[in-house]
Order: sequence, then structure tokens, then C-alpha cells
Amino acid sequence: MSADPRTPAVRTGANAEGESAAPQIVRFSRAQRIEHVLVMVLFVTLCVTGFPQKFYTQRWAEVLVGAFGGIDQTRLIHHLAGYVLAIVTVIHFASALAAMLTRSRPFSMMPTRKDFEDVFRQLRHYLGTDRQPLYDRYTYKEKFEYWGLVMGNVIMITTGFVLAFPLQVTALLPGVLIPAAKMAHSNEGLMALMVITFWHMFNVHLNPETFPIDKVIFTGKMSRERYAHEHPLELARLEGRPPPSEEDAHAAAAPSGVAPRGEGDR
Amino acid sequence: MLRHLLPVLALLGVAAPALAADGDAACLECHGEPGMTADLPGGGSVPLFVDGKQFQASVHAQQGMSCTDCHAGMTPDHATGELSAPTRRALSKKSSEVCASCHDQVAETFAASVHGSAPDNPDLPACSECHDVHRTVDTSAARLALQTPLLCGNCHTDEKRMKKYGISTNVVETYLADFHGMVTTFQREGAADERTRLAATCTDCHGVHDIRKTDDPASRVIAANLLQTCQRCHEGAPPMFPQAWLSHWEPSPKRAPAVWAVLQFYRFMIPFMMGGLLLQIGLHVWRSARKKTR
Repeated sequence: MSADPRTPAVRTGANAEGESAAPQIVRFSRAQRIEHVLVMVLFVTLCVTGFPQKFYTQRWAEVLVGAFGGIDQTRLIHHLAGYVLAIVTVIHFASALAAMLTRSRPFSMMPTRKDFEDVFRQLRHYLGTDRQPLYDRYTYKEKFEYWGLVMGNVIMITTGFVLAFPLQVTALLPGVLIPAAKMAHSNEGLMALMVITFWHMFNVHLNPETFPIDKVIFTGKMSRERYAHEHPLELARLEGRPPPSEEDAHAAAAPSGVAPRGEGDR
Repeated sequence: MLRHLLPVLALLGVAAPALAADGDAACLECHGEPGMTADLPGGGSVPLFVDGKQFQASVHAQQGMSCTDCHAGMTPDHATGELSAPTRRALSKKSSEVCASCHDQVAETFAASVHGSAPDNPDLPACSECHDVHRTVDTSAARLALQTPLLCGNCHTDEKRMKKYGISTNVVETYLADFHGMVTTFQREGAADERTRLAATCTDCHGVHDIRKTDDPASRVIAANLLQTCQRCHEGAPPMFPQAWLSHWEPSPKRAPAVWAVLQFYRFMIPFMMGGLLLQIGLHVWRSARKKTR
């Protein structure tokens, strides 16, 4: 379902000069990185033009709306950004659907039984009573955020269109749909902002293992060492090895002599 | 420039014949003194101060009217301390009669409206309660339309006054919380000029001088007439369109249950989701900190 790169390539790490660097694994394709930047810019644009409309009595809302040249222009920018996000979302779905039909990519974003087991195991690990679960390409945290964003996007885009075209909508459907859509749009947006602010920002910026910023989504590459630590199951598959046993994985994550970040804590 | 100087010239006693009659300056010699008031026999007081500058900018002065056109028979040496009415209400009723002597059509319409139904009832507005008589502005001006929620709200958010008639004081809040009110709020605070496309304010739906009770068949906002009222702005609005407006009701299980249900969903979902995520972040940080200190 996700837009995975076809076959994530293992790079030897030898650069143009032939000098050897830490081996790197390609985690995200160019298309995925561009999509992330686009969604990021659109999300911020929609927030700064949308929330002043929700919190219209606040002084900061007035300042923001003034900066965009008044409420009419603010709404125009919000609508345009919304249309672009709708297009990006449709393209995302279309490419995922195409991949599903042609079976050209693994459905690595699909929630599995293991994800639910991982949730409890990870929590037990935080409490110190279990080992860190071994993750495949995406952890349950990443899947949760992906599906939250996808579902949230569907809600925001659907209700956004209802609000932008009230005459056309009420020609076919009851009028109460308009205030219901407004209630959903405004609250779903608030929830998305809170999830992004607290959850996403913590995981990529404040997470002790990646502080101050996790650049993988921008560069597309992750060191093999970190891959072995964070996604051992996928790495083994990429390298044509059988899935590592728990002992091997935890030992590999903490090679003798050098203690990697977090000491196999993740 | 000349317009800004006019009040000064007027105060100096220099005649400005194009805009005001000679007598205005004489009146303002006393009535231009800020804070001038007179006590009413029936209790309370009435302000007698007129800001000459504001009056010169008013539509009436622009039409060449002067003080004595409304305050007929007043002379510069009129007796002080005499008032023609004992109470504020009696005064405003009298002033409404003066307005009606020119604005007879409006007066007739107003008399048939809910606000004009009982001229002696002090809870109801007279002309001067909505139209500041000495600085009446062009009624087509954007800034007047944008002020209506505040103007109407003066009385309609007054619990004591509205309770007598069983009228909700939530009307302004519910209007402001909706799309029209949000846009109006920003336009009032921002730089709205004559080209600004305005969202509906109170008077666009309820009317101005012809406001009826909401159960009067002639009311613009009664269900049977509402579609037509919406269509004044929303051209071609279909019959189901007016239901999009919750008629100043807050969503509840009885009124707009669908909207209420959506609200309840998020009231539960947002704290539930954020609580779970923050708890997990907390555990993660705690675990990392414990590892480091070990």
C-alpha cells in the first residue's frame, strides 16, 4: 500500500573518490522524499491559513490574517493549498493502487498482527521487562502515523470540499452536512496539528536516539549500522540473509568495543 | 484639507455656507464643550455635547443641514436648564418624530416592525439608539455593516432585557462562531474598504427597519422565507441550503444532532489520542534517561 522504493539498494558506501565511508542503505526513493517535502510545506500553509479562522478572536489570528492581506486572501491561499494537497493525495493513492495491482512493491505499510504485538512489547521494553522488538521496514509507530495522516487527509479533503462548495453539496444532500463538515474539519485539523507537533516532532527531533534531527527523510539514506539496529528484519531480507535471531540482532546492534547510540535501547 | 479646517472655522465663528448654516457655530460655542450634560427631571442625565468635527463629517451636514433643521426654534439665547422631555425615553421618542418628518417612509416601515411596535417601551430602540444622530454615516458604507453585530449585540446580549421577551442572548455568539461572523470579525479589525466583499451580518438576514418577530409570517427568517433570504447573496441556493445555518442554535442532541455527534467524537478522541501518545513519549524518555545513568 505504501509508496516503497522498488528494491531498496544496499550501497557499499564507496564514494566517488573511492574512499570508504560508513555503509549506507537507501531507505526512501526520490519520489518519496519529494512527496514528504510537498506535504510538509502544504501542511504548514494550511495550518497558518486555517487556524486563524478557527481561533478568529485571538490577536495572533488577526496578525496572521493581516500578514496574508486580509481574510479573503487567507481563504484563497487555504483553498489553493487544499486543492494541491488533494491532488498529491490522489496521486499517492493511484500509485499505491497501481503497485498493489501489479504487485511491484511489498505492502510494507499494511498493519499486521506483529504490529499489535510490537506495541505491547515496546511498552514492556520501556518499562524494562522485555527486549526491544525487532522491526521490519516500518515500525508500528510509523504505520500509525502514516495511516493517521492518510485517514486524516481523506477527512480533511472531503470536508474541505463540502465547505468550499456548499451550494453544489446541498443540491444533493441535506444542509446540516455543512456545519457537520465544518465541525469535523476544524477538529480533525486540530488533532492533526497536535499529533504532528507532539508525536512526529518528538520522534524526529527530540528522540534521544536521533536528536537534534533525523535527516533520513531528506537524504533518503540511513547508515547500515543504524538500519541493523532499527530495521533488522528488513536489512536481513535486503541482504538475502535469513531473519536474524533475537540474540544475533541484539548482539549485532552492540558490536564489541564501540557502544552504538542508545546501547541497543531502541 | 478644507474639510479638516471647517470645524475649526466653525468654532471661530466663520461661516461655512456650503456645509452648515451660520447658526451652527453659535450653537457649538456652548455645545462644543466636552462633557456638557443636563439632568433629567425623571432621573439620569442626557449628554448635550456635540463634536462639531464629527457632525461636519456626518451625512446630514454633508447634505447642508444645520442644527436648527432638527432642533427647530432654538436660538443662540435659548433658556438653559429647560428640557422638553422628562426622561431619556421621552426624549428619544421625540427625536424619532423629528426624524420621521423627513424619513417618513422609513418611519412607517419601522412602526410596523417588532422594534417599532411600542414607542413608549424603553426596551425597544428608537432611531437614535441605533443611529448616532450627530454622526450618522452613509448606510451603504462597509464600516456600518461591519458594526451591526456590535450594535444589535448592545441590546441582544443584555440578559435582563432579553429575558422579558424570552429571547436568547446567545444570538451574537452563535453568529460570530459561524462562517459569516468569522469573516465579519476579521473585516472589521482589518482594512475593509468599499470594495470589500462583505459576509452577511445581522441585518442582511433579519432586515433593518422591517424586522419582524421570528414567528411572524412576514419575517424574512421564518422557515418559509429563509431560502429566499439566503438567495439574496447565495444566488441559486437549492432548497436544502438554508439547513446549513443552525438558526442561532448550538448543536445539541435535539438541535443538529449530527453536528453535536461530530463534536462529541472529537471531544473524546483528541484527549484520548494525545494522552496515549504523550504517555508513550514519556515512557520512551524515561527509559533512555535510566539507561544513560546506569
